[in-house]
Amino acid sequence: MFGFIFRRILTTIPVMGFVALFVFSLLYIAPGDPAAVIAGDQATPEDVAKIRAGLGLDRPFLVRFAEWFFRVMQGDLGTSIFTGLPVSQMIAQRIEPTLSLMVVTLFIAIFVAIPMGVVAAWKCDTWIDRVVMSFAVLGFSVPVFVIGYLLAYAFALQLDWLPVQGYRPIKNGVWPWFENLILPAVTLGFVYIALIARITRASMLEVLQQDYIRTARAKGVSQKSILFLHALKNAAIPIVTVIGIGVALLIGGAVVTESVFAIPGLGRLTVDAILRRDYPIIQGVVLMFSFVYVLINLLVDVLYTLLDPRIRY
Amino acid sequence: MDRRTFLISAGTAALVASTGGLSAPALSQGANAKVLRFVPQANLANFDPIWGTQYVVRNAAALVWDTLYGVDENLVPQRQMVESEEVSADGLTWTFKLRPGLKFHDGEPVLAKDVVQSLKRWAARDPMGIMIVAQQQELTAVDDRTWKWVLKKPFPKMILALAKNNAPCSFIMPERIAQTDPFKQITEYIGSGPMKFNKGEWVPGAKAVFEKFDAYVPRAEKASWLAGGKNMLVNRIEWVIMPDPATAAAALQNGEVDWWENPISDLVPVLRRNSNINVDISDPLGNIGAFRMNHLFAPFDNPKIRRAVLMAMNQEDYMRAIVGDDNKLWKPLPGFFTPDTPLYTEAGGDILKRKNIAEARKMIQEAGYKGEPVVCLIAQDQPNTKAMGDVTVDLLKKIGLNVDFVATDWGTVGARRAQKTPPGQGGWNMFHTWHAGADCLNPSSYTAIRANGDKAWFGWPTSKPVEDAIVEWFDAKDLPAEKTAMAKLNTAALEDVVYAPTGFFLGYQAWRKNVTGVTKGPLPFFWNVGKA
Repeated sequence: MFGFIFRRILTTIPVMGFVALFVFSLLYIAPGDPAAVIAGDQATPEDVAKIRAGLGLDRPFLVRFAEWFFRVMQGDLGTSIFTGLPVSQMIAQRIEPTLSLMVVTLFIAIFVAIPMGVVAAWKCDTWIDRVVMSFAVLGFSVPVFVIGYLLAYAFALQLDWLPVQGYRPIKNGVWPWFENLILPAVTLGFVYIALIARITRASMLEVLQQDYIRTARAKGVSQKSILFLHALKNAAIPIVTVIGIGVALLIGGAVVTESVFAIPGLGRLTVDAILRRDYPIIQGVVLMFSFVYVLINLLVDVLYTLLDPRIRY
Repeated sequence: MDRRTFLISAGTAALVASTGGLSAPALSQGANAKVLRFVPQANLANFDPIWGTQYVVRNAAALVWDTLYGVDENLVPQRQMVESEEVSADGLTWTFKLRPGLKFHDGEPVLAKDVVQSLKRWAARDPMGIMIVAQQQELTAVDDRTWKWVLKKPFPKMILALAKNNAPCSFIMPERIAQTDPFKQITEYIGSGPMKFNKGEWVPGAKAVFEKFDAYVPRAEKASWLAGGKNMLVNRIEWVIMPDPATAAAALQNGEVDWWENPISDLVPVLRRNSNINVDISDPLGNIGAFRMNHLFAPFDNPKIRRAVLMAMNQEDYMRAIVGDDNKLWKPLPGFFTPDTPLYTEAGGDILKRKNIAEARKMIQEAGYKGEPVVCLIAQDQPNTKAMGDVTVDLLKKIGLNVDFVATDWGTVGARRAQKTPPGQGGWNMFHTWHAGADCLNPSSYTAIRANGDKAWFGWPTSKPVEDAIVEWFDAKDLPAEKTAMAKLNTAALEDVVYAPTGFFLGYQAWRKNVTGVTKGPLPFFWNVGKA
């Protein structure tokens, strides 16, 4: 197992190298000029050229890439073109809100979606099943920002139960932190709940057809034990896979959710950086997310071994 | 105490601790009244008002850095940090004296050497500053409170240059900070303005915090825009950046923010219906919509074709596309300068009143249009440019021009418009933008009105009559002479179509009713703004 983990971590290195080259190249060829954005509308072409030179943006591709890559290897993600702050500092400022949003969303999604999927499979072809699956379709169909607006309108503006926007760090108290995350997490979780519920239902349906489930019923095991003790554990592999893949959905969805609810997270940082062409931030955030995603996939693979003893690496 | 009671008590205590404590007692809730939460027009991504000339940077900078002079609501420059000024009889030597007792946020006194270095840095980036330096003999500190600026040629607009509110303003910084290369960012944000910038709480793109500077000495006069006494009635101002207008509207209605700089027109009716919110015009100087044609390449290298476009356009279409049905928010503009200001003129503006498509079509055919495609860059992420772009494309097609609609983002427009390559090879024929009315009062900082060819703004118009009129305005010694020059300038700029003005439009601001002292102006003025 440890050998497997070590080998997977080693393979991360060329993957990250490829991601670094890809994202750097993409930004290099993309249209736009951060120097022009910095200089402002009234600037002369000479001003823009001076700013570009001052930022080193007029140097050849290979020189810029090599310099950036070697700095990254030393743990230095560079400096933001616009703020002049280290990229790592800017990421560190924004990581807590995004992480909080993703954790709370995951928590809500898993603890809502899995029971939904289990019940839908148990009551297959009944009205309960249809309600759950309709909800799943809705979750996939309605855009995240529409859900966000509706929830904010109902629970914040009309009922005044929850705040419309913002984020409060957990050091200021657990409830204030959680209160600000409820609406964004439910918003972001909608599509995730839909996805997990559907996969759970499909996976459970397959498992519930198995002989050992029929045997357990014949032996008089309670329905609850059959569903949650025997069937769910055997249905867990595809569910865990989807949860892992769905983290990418969360990252993408966080961008919209953070904008709708004005959460100062990494999603907004990335969008702002893209619009401004703040290359070091874009590169730094993409590298970071890629690394996180690789780690999550590794974690999912390790979890397989816990869920299914037959799986060994 | 029994176990059950102990467990319940411990559980309750833990719950209270996790909720961040008991509710604030009534006394400390008064502290909230000293915090003003403001939603600015854009993201405050950097905070160097000389290096980055975006309006949002200037607006924030006005809190932290003071200026030597400031324009008031009548557009008249008034002394701010300056106690007195003197100009020699030949107009060549300006001697200024600072007010006593001015301090920077780090406790150091503001000295003439700080002013001299700050002016040097400012003048390297500002159009008027560049003009002054071109005629400069010396800029030196005479003593701790006095400095002089000696010129080779008189510059009657000196006070205007130092007072104007167009970016970059001549903000005064400590000498060590002002020694930063003007093409590189400063890293310290120390000024002598009424608020201090709290760098520790700054989250670029999300939040900026300003705290009252207790040692600030406001002037005795009543505040008027950037002039007069800047008395702060709140202790702390939080700029909360909200990219989504619907969220900002909801937050304002819910009382989570106090003042929103520029609500979009669609949401204004919703805000008006809320009995806790005031809505009013934000800046009486408004904005001037524009599209620029590339004078270097066909078809717009032909002035007849440019004039045909002006002849056909209907400014009402453009303005309604931007502001909707609210007639209070726009007016036609047969020229380039801000309406209802002393130098406003409509001279030569009849061409913009013709709105004659048929005549324009005929003119284009007579001009020998060969069917070249018009590469029209339209930024889809800016509501104003998107709206104007849609109107223009329709107009150009109606008058018989072939249009290549390039839907892109503002960042790409910014880069591509600087290209002087042919339109089919990465260049362009037309792009849309708008200018703040505060920048269009006169030619002083109005880069977009220049017609000096290669050195002009994007589009690179060339027009000797325009340039001559600008020189005439700079040399004018009184208001009648300035007005004469402005009339010539407006006429010449329309004749050669330096750019096409699409109309004059205003915007709203919104604030909660418990916030007092909000005024109209070219930037949000936080002095004398309080919270009940």
